[in-house]
Amino acid sequence: MASPGGHGGGAVSTRGGGGTRRMKWALELSLGNTRQFPVPSCRSRGDRQSSQGDTLYPIGYSDKPVPDTSVQEADRNLVEKRCWDVALGPLKQIPMNLFIMYMSGNTISIFPIMMVCMMAWRPIQALMSLSATFKLLESSSQQWLQGIVYLIGNLLGSALAIYKCQSMGLLPTHSSDWLAFIEPPQRMEIMGGGMVL
Amino acid sequence: MANLRTCLAFLFLCCSLCDAVYEDQVGKFDWRQQYVGKVLFAHFESHSQASKKLILATDKNIVASLNPRTGDLFWRQVDKAGPEGHIDTLLFHGQDAVVVTGNGRLLRSWESSVGALNWEMLLDPGSFLAAVLVGTQDSVKFVAVLKKATVSLHYLSNGHQKWTETLPDSDTVHYQAVYSSGGSQLFVLGVVPHSHLSIITFNIEDGEITSQCNSAVCFSSEVLVIQARCTVVGQGVLICADASTLSLYMLPLSSEEPVGLQQSLDLDLALGFQPVLLTTQPNPARPPLAQFFLQLGPDHHVLLQLSDGHLSPLRDFQPAFLVSFATTGEKTVAAVLSPKNETACSVSLYSADSGRRLLDTTVTIHLDPNGGKPEKLYVHAFLKKDDSVGYRVLVQTEDHTITFLQQPGRIVWTREEALADVVTMEMVDLPLTGTQAELEGEFGKKADGLAAMVLKRLSSQLILLQAWIAHLWKLFYDARKPRSQVKNEVTIETLARDEFNLQKMMVMVTASGKLFGIDSKSGMVLWKHYLRNVQPNAVFKLMVQRTTAHFPHPPQCTLLIKDKETGLAALHVFNPIFGKKSHVTPPTLSRPVLQSLLLPLMDQDYSKVLLLIDDEYKVTAFPSTKNVLQQLQEMASAIYFFLVDASQGKLSGFRLRKDLSTELIWEVVIPPEVQKIVAVKGKRANEHVHSQGRVMGDRSVLYKYLNPNLLAVVTESVDTHQERSFVGVFLIDGVTGRIIHEAVQRKARGPIHLVHSENWVVYEYWNAKSRRNEFSVLELFEGTELYNSTVFSSLDRPHLPQVLQQSYIFPSSISTMEATLTEKGITSRHLLVGLPSGAILSLPKMFLDPRRPEMATEQSREENLIPYAPEMPIRTEWFINYNQSVTRVRGIYTAPSGLESTCLVVAYGLDIFQTRVYPSKQFDVLKDDYDYVLISSVLFGLFFATMISKRLAQVKLLNRAWR
Repeated sequence: MASPGGHGGGAVSTRGGGGTRRMKWALELSLGNTRQFPVPSCRSRGDRQSSQGDTLYPIGYSDKPVPDTSVQEADRNLVEKRCWDVALGPLKQIPMNLFIMYMSGNTISIFPIMMVCMMAWRPIQALMSLSATFKLLESSSQQWLQGIVYLIGNLLGSALAIYKCQSMGLLPTHSSDWLAFIEPPQRMEIMGGGMVL
Repeated sequence: MANLRTCLAFLFLCCSLCDAVYEDQVGKFDWRQQYVGKVLFAHFESHSQASKKLILATDKNIVASLNPRTGDLFWRQVDKAGPEGHIDTLLFHGQDAVVVTGNGRLLRSWESSVGALNWEMLLDPGSFLAAVLVGTQDSVKFVAVLKKATVSLHYLSNGHQKWTETLPDSDTVHYQAVYSSGGSQLFVLGVVPHSHLSIITFNIEDGEITSQCNSAVCFSSEVLVIQARCTVVGQGVLICADASTLSLYMLPLSSEEPVGLQQSLDLDLALGFQPVLLTTQPNPARPPLAQFFLQLGPDHHVLLQLSDGHLSPLRDFQPAFLVSFATTGEKTVAAVLSPKNETACSVSLYSADSGRRLLDTTVTIHLDPNGGKPEKLYVHAFLKKDDSVGYRVLVQTEDHTITFLQQPGRIVWTREEALADVVTMEMVDLPLTGTQAELEGEFGKKADGLAAMVLKRLSSQLILLQAWIAHLWKLFYDARKPRSQVKNEVTIETLARDEFNLQKMMVMVTASGKLFGIDSKSGMVLWKHYLRNVQPNAVFKLMVQRTTAHFPHPPQCTLLIKDKETGLAALHVFNPIFGKKSHVTPPTLSRPVLQSLLLPLMDQDYSKVLLLIDDEYKVTAFPSTKNVLQQLQEMASAIYFFLVDASQGKLSGFRLRKDLSTELIWEVVIPPEVQKIVAVKGKRANEHVHSQGRVMGDRSVLYKYLNPNLLAVVTESVDTHQERSFVGVFLIDGVTGRIIHEAVQRKARGPIHLVHSENWVVYEYWNAKSRRNEFSVLELFEGTELYNSTVFSSLDRPHLPQVLQQSYIFPSSISTMEATLTEKGITSRHLLVGLPSGAILSLPKMFLDPRRPEMATEQSREENLIPYAPEMPIRTEWFINYNQSVTRVRGIYTAPSGLESTCLVVAYGLDIFQTRVYPSKQFDVLKDDYDYVLISSVLFGLFFATMISKRLAQVKLLNRAWR
């Protein structure tokens, strides 16, 4: 997680007035880390082609900085905090969802349906990628607690979506929803007749 | 606020229900045919050369004018049905058609060119006897009307009465005929039975009796009917034929002291035949011709001449069925119809003066072997340019067909007037085409190996492809021709089911005993079959025993014809597509048949079993093969039938025993002294109900009580007093006889129209207290739980259904009522109401719903219930027949089509109207004005745009890679 300082991989050299005034400024991308390998800024434009050879590093030199593997106490706190952020994310969304639910109303039209779909889809998506999230939380000490909180948050979110569906009447929970599947009863007796002709 | 909202909801609902026809849809799916009925009187208008017309008066109380070139109606005036509007006589002169209607109640004159009423006069009471045109000084000015006790003279121009005179001794003398010959005298002839003739002469100017004499001519027979057997010929000589002495009596009317002369003729009279005299008076202002016909037998006529007080036969016609006189200019000819062979008749002209046959005047009439014999002959003669006589004939046959022919036997047109009196009808699916049948057959065959199946499939697909290419080629070929030449003639050979089964065969049974097969798409009569020996008041019941679905077995219909007098019945089994009599021999029914019952059981050849119950309550099965009898034995305990005897007020239920006898299991008696049963209706056998319940506002279900054995019995009180009359409705289970519901509508009277379908009964009655027509609807529900959702048995239904009822005021009386019917019963139902005005109203069942609340609530709105309003609206856009009125609509027949949204409707009465209705709009069909061009152009445009942009994107990518 920890990364070395924010030194960029290039330097902008601005040239005042010396040499040929062909360009105002130029970006030297081929330069290495300026901290360890300062490049004289008085290099002329003309020998740029040959400057490739100057950036040859000694054998065993690594371009990348060696990460600092020693974890400090402050960093650990940061990780914990970040993990809790992830775990509590779904729960934090619930008040927002409640507000949207309230605003969109119970009429069945394209907009509320879209809302409901979105509300239902997000927790489901999150639940499907649960393993990836767990991997993310691996570094935390309270991994299991956070995982459960995350799960509960998502389940609550989907329950909310189901509740919304229910209040909109989209769930087949009434007998009327199954009416169309009732077969007409079979007739046991054959009957006919009428007025005497 | 709530009110406003309900109003808005209501308006919205109503707007969504409007389904009137667009102007360009007129005649696209519907057709109407107008009829006039059996012809009683016919006259040819021949005075003006330019506008020739045929004026008819018929037994349906209609005066009509036909175009002799096409047979189309110019105009038609429909009077009241029944004896009140009965046409007693039709006299025709110049432009005026004078009609006496309602047994001498009214005298009317119609303008023949446009059918407008010239004038109408109410005549004095008294039963009508005769009417005649009276002319003086070569012009016809008056109409004389003879009634039982009076004779009156009216002006032809305005109908005003010139004079009226009472006849002397009208209680003893039976006055029978009135006669005038252009002089100033009007003769009234009467008979005193067994005694003498009475002749009274009136002065036309003032109605004074100038002479009154009783002739001493003694007739041996009982009662004289002057018009049939006595007539006036020549210069006022009365001729009477006497059957017993085989002689003719002559009596000069104008002489002071009439002396009867008797002359015997050496002619044979057919046994038991009363001789008939036929004369002609070409001009009412002149005396009749001296020549006349004497009919001596059903096929024997003699042309006689009176000259110098002596009768002499001019020509003997035998065989000759019908004779007629026709006059053109100064020439009078006699037309004689004589049989040629089994299938043809010929009409020839003879000179009336000499009895000589006119050359080249034979018209050959080919008789339809499935039609009737000629019954009436009307001849229209005209002078050709070379001064010879040409003519056209109007022949009416027993089956009420009128055919108009011209020389030398070309049929100008034919009208099937039997269709003015349709009794019952059925619609039958058309057969599949050869290719469709090929495919169907493939599925029907037994599987014999994979390779063979594949080959068979490929071959049938090849045949389909071939047919399709042929169809395309025909389309292409027809498209090059001008549109007028392309005719889609429907013939019996090219009949095939269309894609959605919208075209069907209408099998119509008419009161005259003639059966018709009519194409429902075009209204063309494809076959007709006349059943001889059908009594005029016979009862018909038409049943479809085998539909077209069982290829290669032909479809089969059975018509039960019951003679009212003898009670004996006969079965006519025929193929409904071709009209041919089937080879299947129906059982001979020796005992009177009470009822019939079509079972859903099938024989090996897929024909449904028909049970006939005779007056000993024994059952005859048709077909009665071994297989059928075995099936019947197995099923016997589940077969029930009911009989309703309206005269005794008795409803009885029977059960079949294994030996095809029956046992009485229940009986309900409705005392006939108090109320009489007027109608009993069960449910239609081919009705499907898709939804088993109704969804309530709280989304629970109210299950319908769908008892297939339920009968709706309607009674009317015998006491018709306004305060005490009532109408009763009983819902009775036909298997157990259990009275499920009973409702009495007090201070109500019939006629009652009833529709019974699904779980509801709708009936209409006259509210005698409020003097208005009312609709009432009964709906039956089982409750929120089903007792048994898999089987329905009337024997196991412990709970009575919940019954809801509501009534509405309807602003019109109605003639008939029927409910729409669709294939699966998903589409909402409409009631089709035939109004006396000729309109057919498609009334949504939604308006007749006993659950309509008085105050709209949230839940009722959820259910789409319209708040209750006592008045039922009639919206003109609900008229499915826009301005095509169906006169005297008597019945409406509905049939499902292959499309769930579409129901085929036939309304019949005097006219026949066929259309399609879409009670829930055409939810399964693209609209007529669907913009195929726009949609396809957009599609293609998008497709090409995608292709082009894809190509462009590729180029761009490539260029970028090169950079």
